[in-house]
Amino acid sequence: MTFQRVIQSLSLGIFLLALWRAPHALLGAWPADGSLRMDPMILLGTVVAGRKLAPFLWITGCILLLCMLLGRFFCAYLCPLGATIDGCDHFLRRQHDRSSPSPSLSCTGLRHLKYQLLIFILGAGILGVSFVFVAAPMALATRLYGLIIYPGLYFLADLGLTTLRPAADQLNLTAIAYAVVKAPRYDLQWLTFSMSLALLAGGVWTPRFWCRNLCPSGALLALFSRRPIVRRTVSQDCSNCGLCARKCPMGAIGMETEDAKSINPFRVNHAECIVCLTCVRVCPTHAVSFRAGKQSGIEKIGRQTPTISLDRRRVLGAGVSGSVAAILTLTGLKAPSSAAGPGNPVHPAVIRPPGAIPEKNFLARCVRCDACMQACPTNTLQPLGWQAGLSALYSPVVKPRRGPCAPDCTACGDVCPTGSLRPLHPEEKLKAKVGTARIFRQKCLAWEFDKKCLICDEVCPFDAIEFRKLPDMHIAVPFVNEKKCFGCGYCEYHCPVQAVPAIVVEPMQALRLSGGSYRTAAREMGYTLETKPKAGTSTDDIGPQDLPLFQLDEKGLPPGFTE
Amino acid sequence: MRIHRPNNPLTEIISLTGKRLNRRQFLKFQLKGALWLSVGVKGLALPAKLHANAIPDISVVKGKPGPATRLAVEQLGGMQTFVKPGDKVVIKPNMSFANGIVNATNTRPEVVRELVAMVKEAGAGRVRVLDNTLCQPEPSIADIKAACQVFNEDIVHALGDYDFYRNIKLNDKWFGFNKTDVMKDVLDADCLIAAPTAKSHHATGVSLSMKGMMGLVFDRWTMHQQGLDDAIVTLAALLKPKLVVVDVSRVLSTNGPRGPGKIIPMNTIVASADMVAADAKTVEICTWYGKRFKPRQIKHIRLAHEQGLGRMDVENLVLKETVL
Repeated sequence: MTFQRVIQSLSLGIFLLALWRAPHALLGAWPADGSLRMDPMILLGTVVAGRKLAPFLWITGCILLLCMLLGRFFCAYLCPLGATIDGCDHFLRRQHDRSSPSPSLSCTGLRHLKYQLLIFILGAGILGVSFVFVAAPMALATRLYGLIIYPGLYFLADLGLTTLRPAADQLNLTAIAYAVVKAPRYDLQWLTFSMSLALLAGGVWTPRFWCRNLCPSGALLALFSRRPIVRRTVSQDCSNCGLCARKCPMGAIGMETEDAKSINPFRVNHAECIVCLTCVRVCPTHAVSFRAGKQSGIEKIGRQTPTISLDRRRVLGAGVSGSVAAILTLTGLKAPSSAAGPGNPVHPAVIRPPGAIPEKNFLARCVRCDACMQACPTNTLQPLGWQAGLSALYSPVVKPRRGPCAPDCTACGDVCPTGSLRPLHPEEKLKAKVGTARIFRQKCLAWEFDKKCLICDEVCPFDAIEFRKLPDMHIAVPFVNEKKCFGCGYCEYHCPVQAVPAIVVEPMQALRLSGGSYRTAAREMGYTLETKPKAGTSTDDIGPQDLPLFQLDEKGLPPGFTE
Repeated sequence: MRIHRPNNPLTEIISLTGKRLNRRQFLKFQLKGALWLSVGVKGLALPAKLHANAIPDISVVKGKPGPATRLAVEQLGGMQTFVKPGDKVVIKPNMSFANGIVNATNTRPEVVRELVAMVKEAGAGRVRVLDNTLCQPEPSIADIKAACQVFNEDIVHALGDYDFYRNIKLNDKWFGFNKTDVMKDVLDADCLIAAPTAKSHHATGVSLSMKGMMGLVFDRWTMHQQGLDDAIVTLAALLKPKLVVVDVSRVLSTNGPRGPGKIIPMNTIVASADMVAADAKTVEICTWYGKRFKPRQIKHIRLAHEQGLGRMDVENLVLKETVL
């Protein structure tokens, strides 16, 4: 195992553990979004589209500076998507390698696409619309692992446990017999899977197809590593065998023309070189080395280092297309708007997680890494489909029918790398109202069917459901106190009514603050969001003044009692 | 499920008067009549047990939760009456809420711990303390789990996964609650012990042992759809505990089942082999919403009594009350 493979595997391992929310014992102080913060595309998305200087700017700054020193090392050593692609290529290319003499040299004509993609995203970002999620490699990696691979593994683990359970029960191994795997389920799995598959399938044509031709983060890093200080040099010992060029996973060596036949091992495109050191390893005459300082004599002999042609027409074209895409987004009916006034239709399913900043900024800043969905313990956070348009694809929404939003949990805000979900103190989180529950009386067992059902009241952690006895009704019926309702969705989750439940959370009255205190905002709005039941009073005498929490019926009986 | 129906003396009289009596039969008839009259008019309808010094129907002990639990069960003949050596035992406390001990929504951990200890002393094999919690499982069962750490065994579990349940048919003809999923552990157990806590309930008046059986089924939500009181009785006919120990150390007198509500200290444990009687006695001795109520005012207790699942006429049952 080479040095590069060791570092790459470690990096992938840390990324996977952090995404899995491994306990601190394993990761120490490594933040859950540690890997995400390193992706320059995620930074760019936050800064350009979100109009906000990210606090982790310095990490990307360091990486870009290191690129000027060492070249595009990020792709070979740190990028989890790069590691995944390498692993996948290894699997895909075994037979292919034998048949094709120089597969690494094909498809060179597409390399400019990544720059165009980068400029496209910037062009849209300038108008405040973020398409970072389409191509940021870290976001793609988190979606691949978080929404596809982890749920699959959980499913298999659950299957395994179910199979083992009877035997474990017989042997009195309670740890296994009563262990439960809560397998998460996510929406859009076919789209996520298809996108990931398409990305990895490029390996059929060339190794690291994505990294060479499409990755916008790679493009940005390439711009900074056009002529790094430590770079590849070839000594006089070179026998011109061309093995290095054929083995280079990026096809960075000998790119004189786009004709695969002309190989010149002395020539290297540093912007495409990811410093994996394969050429050093395979060289039969040990002629290749990476060293700092002046150009070697040989490099001078060789003609100028080739670069990717990036003419004005292509740059302008990509930038303008990006802006057009942004304008199309902003002129659609579903254009993201932070204004709550008339004329701004909001899809009722778009319930944002607590701490989400105002919608337009939220969508501009959110890179759809979906780390929040991984962190969510109740699986209520789901990737949004097309309900709010293309620009909101994969953005997180609360899906109460799948799981409620636990009042004491602040996980989603804690892991968000861009601050589109604000990290909230538990006290603040309690006031970050996400919506309001609404009762469909025609479906409610109490309202419509005269059945004594009070589950919504029983499960509401905010005590926002009030049962009132109406004069012409046999039994008490539920009402939502919207001042007390957080929108956590325990009611919707537990409602026994099938299909559309009788109580549904809508994003009505959600608090969306880009800054400042939710406590203050909630107070100003008159919301009294409290979860903790006041400690029970304990006295023997009970006066009528002590009984505000229930109503006696017309016969003077408390709830549930009969004559 | 075997349903015990007490012999009604009235039917006996009719059968006797239907034919000619000889002297011996006549004297016997006279004697019985005198005896029944001495029991009282209500006794004519439903006879009480006559051997008052033997095991009581209901055992009520005032005292600290742990010792009172032990004495309450001992007054019923001891745990060995209910648990035979090697038996699989399931204890069903109320541990559905993550409200902490102060809010009186869960059974007191001391009561559960004492029950587990007694069950183990009686030689039980596999012991489990189970519930399907309403709140998040771990914080809900935390207090009881901590109390049961002393047994060095993993016995307290919140079962929320469908794999722990088995679908069974219910004996119900009249309103469509004809199948449900019950914990496999409970269906396979030799002895089920209910250990509810005394609390009020918005929909059913009180939540005691019968209502508590809903914590052993997977989808209790649909029971609301079928009519809660009726569904509780149907379920109770199937899941009939051998022993009921109600934790009346305090009662959540208002705003149950979730609270916060008025908590009245009672310092009492009620035990019985008859779940209806245990619930009825608890209703009778507690104050609910500042008032006293008769057991028949709780619809599911009345229905269970009418179905013959047990007896709510606690005044006709043999009671043993002790103060520790």
